[in-house]
Amino acid sequence: MFKKSIITFMVLMFTIVSLSMAFASTGPDGNKRKGKYTYRKVYKACSATGQIESSTPKISPADKTMGQWKAVFENKNFGEFGCKDNWAGLSDNAILDIYSYFYHHASDSPTPAKCQ
Amino acid sequence: MKANKVKTLILALVTGLILLTGCTAAKTAKTGPAPVEDTSWMFHDIVDAAFVKAHIAVPMPENVMIIDARPYKVKYTKGHIPGAVNIPFSQFDKNSNLLPKDKNSLVIYYCGGLKCKLSHKSARKAEKSGYKNVKVFAKGYPEWVSQKDNYGSVSAEHVAKLIAENKSVIIDARPQKTKFNKGHIPTAVNIPFSQFEALKGKLPRDLNTPVIFYCGGLKCRLSHKSAAKALEMGYTNVNVFAKGYPQWKKTYGQSNETMQVQAGEIEGSIELERFKSIVANSPESIMLIDVRDADEFAKGSFKTAVNIPVEKLEPKIKDLPDDKPVVFVCSTGARSGEAFYMAKDVRQSLKYVYYVEAEIDFKSNGNIEIKKPK
Repeated sequence: MFKKSIITFMVLMFTIVSLSMAFASTGPDGNKRKGKYTYRKVYKACSATGQIESSTPKISPADKTMGQWKAVFENKNFGEFGCKDNWAGLSDNAILDIYSYFYHHASDSPTPAKCQ
Repeated sequence: MKANKVKTLILALVTGLILLTGCTAAKTAKTGPAPVEDTSWMFHDIVDAAFVKAHIAVPMPENVMIIDARPYKVKYTKGHIPGAVNIPFSQFDKNSNLLPKDKNSLVIYYCGGLKCKLSHKSARKAEKSGYKNVKVFAKGYPEWVSQKDNYGSVSAEHVAKLIAENKSVIIDARPQKTKFNKGHIPTAVNIPFSQFEALKGKLPRDLNTPVIFYCGGLKCRLSHKSAAKALEMGYTNVNVFAKGYPQWKKTYGQSNETMQVQAGEIEGSIELERFKSIVANSPESIMLIDVRDADEFAKGSFKTAVNIPVEKLEPKIKDLPDDKPVVFVCSTGARSGEAFYMAKDVRQSLKYVYYVEAEIDFKSNGNIEIKKPK
C-alpha cells in the first residue's frame, strides 16, 4: 500500500514538472531580432503611403503582458496596430517573428522593451 | 566801458582754457605711461600667417616642417594647419626624431595664439639642438583659421566623432570607379574633384554646415583643391582630413583578416569568443558600428567603433564598406540585431555583416564586459 502511494506520488510529481516545463516553453520560436526590424519596417512603409503620420510604431511590446500578446497573435487580432493592408501583406513567418519580438519583450517578460 | 567788458570776457575765456588744459595735463600726468608688456619669453624670430602659407605645399617639401606644439588629443586632432606635424612641447625630447634630419631646414612652430608659450619654448629647444632656421608663427592656429581663404586639417579620430554627431558632411574627392567604389569612409559623399562643378549640388545647402574633404593621403591634392573651391562658394566651416583614406584604414580598419570572422549560433551573430579576440588583438580588421544613441556612445564604447544610431542607419547602409566585415554592436543585441536585418534587407550584396548577440556592459571606468545572453 505504502509502495503504491510512493509510486503514485512520483508519477504525480513527474506530471506536474513536465506540465510546468511545457507551459514554460510556450513562447513563440520565431526570430525576435528580425521581428523587431520587420515590425518597424511595416510602419515605415505605412507612413510612406500617408496612412499614418509617424513612421515610429506607437505600440511597444511592453504595453501588454506575454499572455495578452499571446491572445492577440493567436487570434490574429491585429486591429489595434492599424496599417491593415501592411499587416495583411505579411507572411506567416514574418508575423511569427513579430510575435516573438512582442512576447519576449512583453511587460512581464525577463527583458521588457524600453524605448528601443 | 564796453571795451572793458570785452577784455573781462576774453580774460575769463583764457582763464577757463588754462584751467581746462591744466586739468587735462594733470590727468595725463596722473595716468603716466602704459605698462610695457613683458615679451621676453617670446622667440626672437616671429612670422605671420602669410609666411606660413607661402611655405605650405602638398606634399610638404623635405626641407620645410610646420610643427604644432599643442597637445594631440584636445587640440591637434580637432584642427591644425594642413601639413603640420604634431610634436607637443611636453613630448619634445621623446619625439625629437620627428624633426627634419637637415638642420638647415625651415622649422616653423605654432600653438594656440599670442598668449601660448608652447611654440616659443619648442623653438628655443630646436635652436639649442642645432636647427638654424627656426621661426614661430606667434598668432598661431586661431589666426590661421580666422583668415578667409584658409582651412584647417583634422585627424581620423575627429572624423569618426563627426560621423557620430551627424552634423557634418564628409566628402571623398577621389575618382568614383577606381577609388571611392573600392572603399571609403562611412557616410562619405563622393564628389570627385574632376567633376566638382557638375556635382557640387551634392554639397549641403546651408553654407555653415561643416564640410570635410579627404582623398588619398598626404601626397594627394584633390581634397585641398576641393576645400579651396568650397571656400570660394562661401562655405564657412571647411576642413580637410589630409591624411585621408589611407589613415582611415589604418585607424579604423581594413585588413586581409576578413575570413577570420566566424558566425555565431544565432543567425547573423558573430561568434562571441572570436569577437572578443578581434576587439583585443586586431580591432582594425572589422568595421565596428555602435548603433546605440549618441549619448550612450559618448559615455564609452569600443576604441575603434563608429557611432551610427540605428534610427539613422538606413540611409548610410549604402556607404558601408564591402571589403571587410561590418559588425553592429549595442548593449543587448536588440538594436544591433535590428541593424543587421536592416543592412541585409537594404543592401543584399553586403556579404560580411554581423551583429553581437550579447549583453555588453560599458563601464564608467572604460572597461567593457561582454557576456553571453541568458
